Amino acid sequence: MNDAIPSLRSASALVPSRAGAGLKAVHYQDIIDNQPDIGWFEIHPENYMGRGGAPLRYLERIRSDYPISMHSVGTSLGSHQPLDTKHLDDLKYLVDRFQPGLISEHLSWSHGYEWFTHDLIPLVYTQASLDLVVDHIQQVQDRLQRQILIENPSSYLQFKQSDIPEQHFLVEAAKRSGAGLLLDVNNVYVSCSNHQWDIEEYLAPIPAELVGEIHLAGHAVQALGNEQVLLIDDHGSPVCTAVWELYRNCIDRIGTVPTLIERDSNIPDFATLYNEVQYAEYYLRQSKEVNRVSTC
Amino acid sequence: MSQLAELQQAFCDALRSPEMPTDALLDAIVDDGLNLQRFNVYRNNFIVLNGDALADMYPVIKRLVGDEAFRVLATAYVRSHPPQARTLLLYGDQFPAFLASIPELVELPYLADVARIEFAWTEAYHAQEHPVLTEDQVSSITADAFGQCQLLPHPTLHCIGSDYPIYSIWQANQSCETDELISLDQGESYVIVLRPEIDVEVSTVSQGAFHFLKQLQSGAIIEAAYEVAIEQDSTFDLGVFLTQHLLDGTFFQINS
Repeated sequence: MNDAIPSLRSASALVPSRAGAGLKAVHYQDIIDNQPDIGWFEIHPENYMGRGGAPLRYLERIRSDYPISMHSVGTSLGSHQPLDTKHLDDLKYLVDRFQPGLISEHLSWSHGYEWFTHDLIPLVYTQASLDLVVDHIQQVQDRLQRQILIENPSSYLQFKQSDIPEQHFLVEAAKRSGAGLLLDVNNVYVSCSNHQWDIEEYLAPIPAELVGEIHLAGHAVQALGNEQVLLIDDHGSPVCTAVWELYRNCIDRIGTVPTLIERDSNIPDFATLYNEVQYAEYYLRQSKEVNRVSTC
Repeated sequence: MSQLAELQQAFCDALRSPEMPTDALLDAIVDDGLNLQRFNVYRNNFIVLNGDALADMYPVIKRLVGDEAFRVLATAYVRSHPPQARTLLLYGDQFPAFLASIPELVELPYLADVARIEFAWTEAYHAQEHPVLTEDQVSSITADAFGQCQLLPHPTLHCIGSDYPIYSIWQANQSCETDELISLDQGESYVIVLRPEIDVEVSTVSQGAFHFLKQLQSGAIIEAAYEVAIEQDSTFDLGVFLTQHLLDGTFFQINS
């Protein structure tokens, strides 16, 4: 890494209502060298749970220049098993060391046995699983001494046992635990398409004041035969036009919240990712102006 | 067992298995005629996401066997060794032994040892920070007492010995452009992997130096380690070795 350019800045912890990008190892040096004008970066804390080495050093350097958010993938809030206190300790260590402005986790599970799926598996939405998730969110918040945001999942199947609509389950889980919500607009689009849910009905019960962050990403289309398709949330392509459209509706309704462009596969060079971040930045500015005019 | 636990465990069983999911599991999924295809998205993700993590850790193995064979090996590995940790940083620790156990790979007997270099590289990359031995620490030891001291290698050091030229194989496959031919008749190699600062270093040492370092790693005093090394390799020159490596980051501490 390039230690020749020591940072003179000490960025605030606060994640601004601007667009941010997922921080990727292939972009570390580019970001340090070129100091792009970008609101914030998001990391998966599990990628920094090594005991030392380059990733933590790069993160330290980048954190001194930018606010960050932590988007956990390993807590397994919806698992029938107890939460892992060692993992919560590791998370707490990173939170104390890097002072993220926002912390989030998914409404899903990945720990079914003693091993981990490393994929986000959907929950059965019942009163019993709601009680479990609320208890798990509270345990995480108690350990971190912070509010966390819960993200709506993308999913490809539903369980027959579920008797609470996903959006009501999410809102109820957040309200009861004191958590906020991370609205993943691409996930709304993907899940509504995969399960023939109505997007308006999905979004209507979500209170604007609970939403602390928005995610945007690309998805793939998988043909299933008999003219049906499944949308696959692979974070492997630019955000599609329909999701941009939905995003603009969302920020006009709930306000301009920090918005992340997620990219986890087919990762382009930083300049390309930065251009996509600028779209979100543009829409956020536009929405702010529209709201300002309408409140005058 | 709770209903939720039963369902989650059945789901995990089916993710790992190449067989049809049980009727009980498929019955639990809302059925629009596509419930098997819907489930298969998760099965595929499980194999691909964890297989990709393995590919990131073992790029040289992937080049050596080819993309298609690597995918088959990764699928079998993910099914037999599902991830045991909440992070994927060190996923694949059993892959070298797994490769050694595959009968179809008997023609590539060096593969498992090359994989050991790649795993050691990743383990060193994420290892805890440790200082390196300094001149001040060494100068506090008198020449007479030196042989009786414990000289501790840096905690990130890994020693990998092989009957095959694994260093040349690993080195030649660091880029895609190479078409270098490596003769297996080059014979054995002794590789060390080390991260004294931020960069992981991979290099070869003599047979004597290799045994000397392994003895020191297990806590032997310098004199005893030297005796083992010289027995294995009569050409081992301790003075030359120490001049080169005592203060180059190979070592961590010296205790009298």
